[in-house]
Amino acid sequence: MNSTEHFTSRWGLILSVIGIAVGTGNIWRFPRIAAANGGGSFLIPWVLFLFLWSIPLIIAEFAIGKQTRLGTVGAFATLLGKKRAWMGGFVGLVATAIMFYYAVVAGWCLRYFSTALTGQLLEVTDHTAHWNDFISSGWLPVLFHVLAITMGAAIIRKGVVHGIEKANRIIIPALLCLIVVSAVRAITLPGALAGLEYLFTPDLETIMDYRVWLQALTQNAWDTGAGWGLILTYAVYMKKREDIPLNAMLIGLGNNSVSLLAAITIFCTVFALVPGQGEELIRSAGPANTGLTFIWIPQLFKQMPGGWLFAIFFFLALTLAAVSSLISMLELTTRVLMDMRMSRDRALSLVFAAALLLGIPSAISIEFFINQDWVWGMGLMVSGAFIAMAVISFGADRLRQDQINSSGSDLVIGRWYNWLITYAIPAQVIILVTWWFWQVIKGNPQHWWNPLQAESVGTCIFQWSVAIALLLALNRFVVRRTFDK
Amino acid sequence: MSTAALITMILILGVVWGGFVLALRLALRKEKSKSHKALADKELK
Repeated sequence: MNSTEHFTSRWGLILSVIGIAVGTGNIWRFPRIAAANGGGSFLIPWVLFLFLWSIPLIIAEFAIGKQTRLGTVGAFATLLGKKRAWMGGFVGLVATAIMFYYAVVAGWCLRYFSTALTGQLLEVTDHTAHWNDFISSGWLPVLFHVLAITMGAAIIRKGVVHGIEKANRIIIPALLCLIVVSAVRAITLPGALAGLEYLFTPDLETIMDYRVWLQALTQNAWDTGAGWGLILTYAVYMKKREDIPLNAMLIGLGNNSVSLLAAITIFCTVFALVPGQGEELIRSAGPANTGLTFIWIPQLFKQMPGGWLFAIFFFLALTLAAVSSLISMLELTTRVLMDMRMSRDRALSLVFAAALLLGIPSAISIEFFINQDWVWGMGLMVSGAFIAMAVISFGADRLRQDQINSSGSDLVIGRWYNWLITYAIPAQVIILVTWWFWQVIKGNPQHWWNPLQAESVGTCIFQWSVAIALLLALNRFVVRRTFDK
Repeated sequence: MSTAALITMILILGVVWGGFVLALRLALRKEKSKSHKALADKELK
C-alpha cells in the first residue's frame, strides 16, 4: 500500500481506528487490571487519564501523521530533527514489543473459539483448571500464536481499504452487540449487584497507591491506542480535509465505553456465580488474573439459553477483533521499514518472522508474558512523553492551527490544547515516574533494581535501555535509509 | 448498593457513555450537513 491510498469515508476511518483499539485490551486486559487494582479506586484515575492523557495524544498522533505522511521514525525525524529519529523508533518498538505477546493473546482467543465451536468449552466443569492446563501445556499456546500471527499477516497483504475497513464494518458492530447482550445477562444474574458494588466503590487507601495511578494511565493508553504510534500510522492515509478532534473523542470515549461494559460483565459474573468469594477471586494475582475473561465468560454463557451459540460468536468476534488490532501493529512496523525503502512484501515478511519467533517465549511462559506486559505497558508512558516532545518541538500552536483545526475539522480546539500537550502530559510522566521510583526504592531497597523480577523497576529500566541503546546505534543508518534519495 | 458506589457509577458511566453518545450525535449531525452541502454543490454545477 502507498500513502496515496486513503480511507473511503469518515466511518471507515473511525471503524478502522476503533478496530485498532476495541479488542482484547478492553475485553481481556481492562477487567483484569481493574480487578487487580481495587475496582472503583482504579476507575477514577482511569477516567481522568482519558481526558488528560489519551485524547490529547490521539489528537497529536492524528495531526503528526497528517502533517508528515510518514511512519513513526520518519515523522519524529521530520519534527524533532534527524538525530532524534530514534525516539520515533522507540514508539514503534514499544508497539512492536507489545505485538509479540499480543499475538499470543490473539492465539488464546482463537483456541477458545475452536473449543467453543466443537462444543467442548461449555462442557468443562472447572474453567480455572482448564485455563491453567492450556497455558502451561507449552505447545498449544505456541500453535495458536503461530496461527494468529499468520492470519494477521495474510489479511494485511490485501491492503487497508479492502482488508481492514471491510472486515471492521462487520467485526466491530458484531462484537459490540455480543458484549451488550453478555452485560445484560450478567447484570440480571442473582447476586450480580455485589459485582457492581465492587467495581464502582472507591477506596481512599487504594486510591493513594502509586500502582493504581500507573496502571490507570497505561491501561487507558492500552484501551484507546494512545501513544502506540498506531493512530499516527493510520493518519498517514487520512484525507487532507478529514476531521481530527471529533474522531479522537469518538475513539477515546467509544473504547472506554466498551471497556466498562466488559468489566461490568466479568465482575457481575464472578460475584454472582461464586457468592462470598467474588472479591478474593477477582483480586487474585498470577495466571488466574491473566485469564479472567477466558475463565468467567464461558461460565456466564452456561447461564444463558443458547449459550453455546453465544460462546461461538463471542470468541469468534473476540478473535477477529484481536486479529484486527494485530493487523494494525504489523502495519506500523511494516510502514517504518517501507519508509526505509524496503518493499512492502519484504518488510511484511520480516515483521511476520520476527513476531512469530519473538512471541514464542510469551506463549510458553506466563511469567515471561507478565513481564513483557509490564515492561512495554509502562513503555507506553515513555512513548506518550516522546509524542508530546515531538509536538512541542514542532510547535503545539502551529500543529493545532495547521492540522487539528484545518478546514475539514468538525470541532475547534482552543489554546487549552497547547497547555495540555506542553505542560500536562510531561507533568503526568514526571510525577508518576518520581512517585513510582520513590515508593519502590523505599519499599523494596534490596530488589527494586533486579532486572530478573517480572514486575520491577529494574526490568523496565534494563529493557528500555537495551532498546534505546540499539536504536541510538542504528539511528544514522535508519535516517540515511529513510531520507536519502 | 452503597451511596458511594451509586454516585461513582452514575458519574463514571455518565461521563464515558454520555460523552460517547453526545460525540456520536454530533458526528452524525456534521456528517449529515456535509452530505447535504455536497449534494447542493453538485446540483449547482
